[in-house]
Amino acid sequence: MRFKRKMKSAEIPTSSMADIAFLLIIYFMVTTTFAATRGLDFALPKDEDNPPIVEKEESVLIDIQPDGSYVVDHHPMALDQILDYLKPKLERNPTKPVIIKPEPTAPYGAMVDAFDELRQAKDKIGIEIKNISIPTQREIDQFWY
Amino acid sequence: MRLAARSKPKARIPTASMADIAFLLIIFFMVTITFEVDKTQVNLPKTVVRKEVPKHAAYISITEAGQIRVSSGEEISVPVAGPEDVLSFATGVVAQDPSKAFVLKADRKVPYRNVDRVIDALKQSKARVIYLLSNQKTVEDTGQGQGGGEGG
Repeated sequence: MRFKRKMKSAEIPTSSMADIAFLLIIYFMVTTTFAATRGLDFALPKDEDNPPIVEKEESVLIDIQPDGSYVVDHHPMALDQILDYLKPKLERNPTKPVIIKPEPTAPYGAMVDAFDELRQAKDKIGIEIKNISIPTQREIDQFWY
Repeated sequence: MRLAARSKPKARIPTASMADIAFLLIIFFMVTITFEVDKTQVNLPKTVVRKEVPKHAAYISITEAGQIRVSSGEEISVPVAGPEDVLSFATGVVAQDPSKAFVLKADRKVPYRNVDRVIDALKQSKARVIYLLSNQKTVEDTGQGQGGGEGG
């Protein structure tokens, strides 16, 4: 008499693979942080010991007050008015230096807002501001007066 | 006569494709994961102009309370006492790699005095470029953000 053997089908056990995979997914989901990796670039002068001498009256001075408001060449101004004020001056002299001078107690955000606004000049008024400077207090004390 | 029992199909949930989907998600997370260099929690300013910060840049963070932390590119940042320590840190970093970029991660409400001292230290250390880390400014922010900062 011939016995009929039951053949087992060959299978790779994959039932636990999904568990492992989901464990890894949870790990990545928990550890992922959406970090800010972009910002405003700000090139520093190459030789600090010999800064270019710029006549004070030739440049535009943006003073940032402690409350975060702006005073441009002694005229109080809103942030969105600064580029309109600068446009005729830049048309006459495209290399006109623009100096941002925040007060020591002014919020850092106000300085960044002003810098960002000046960097958008090409898109907003069609002229790029080539010379933006943000002197530090030490430089102001050393070279300005 | 007794008829042979009908072979009943086994009830199964098809899980063969589950592993494929799971591995696809794993690959997505592995590709997109970025290990944050500096984990200091700050309220970054928002800007329209934003450029990608170079990888392996050195980080200097300033919290609203004025606490400064530095990192030469590693995940762990170390607190420093003041801007004088930033100068010695930056001088060391620039001595090793003169083209190293510095990322300034400062809270938007921090008094500018604190930022000024750090920028001055970086200028003195002959650093070439600083990135002022920021978040994306949206249309709503532009509408609200006119007229300067949000006060100190």
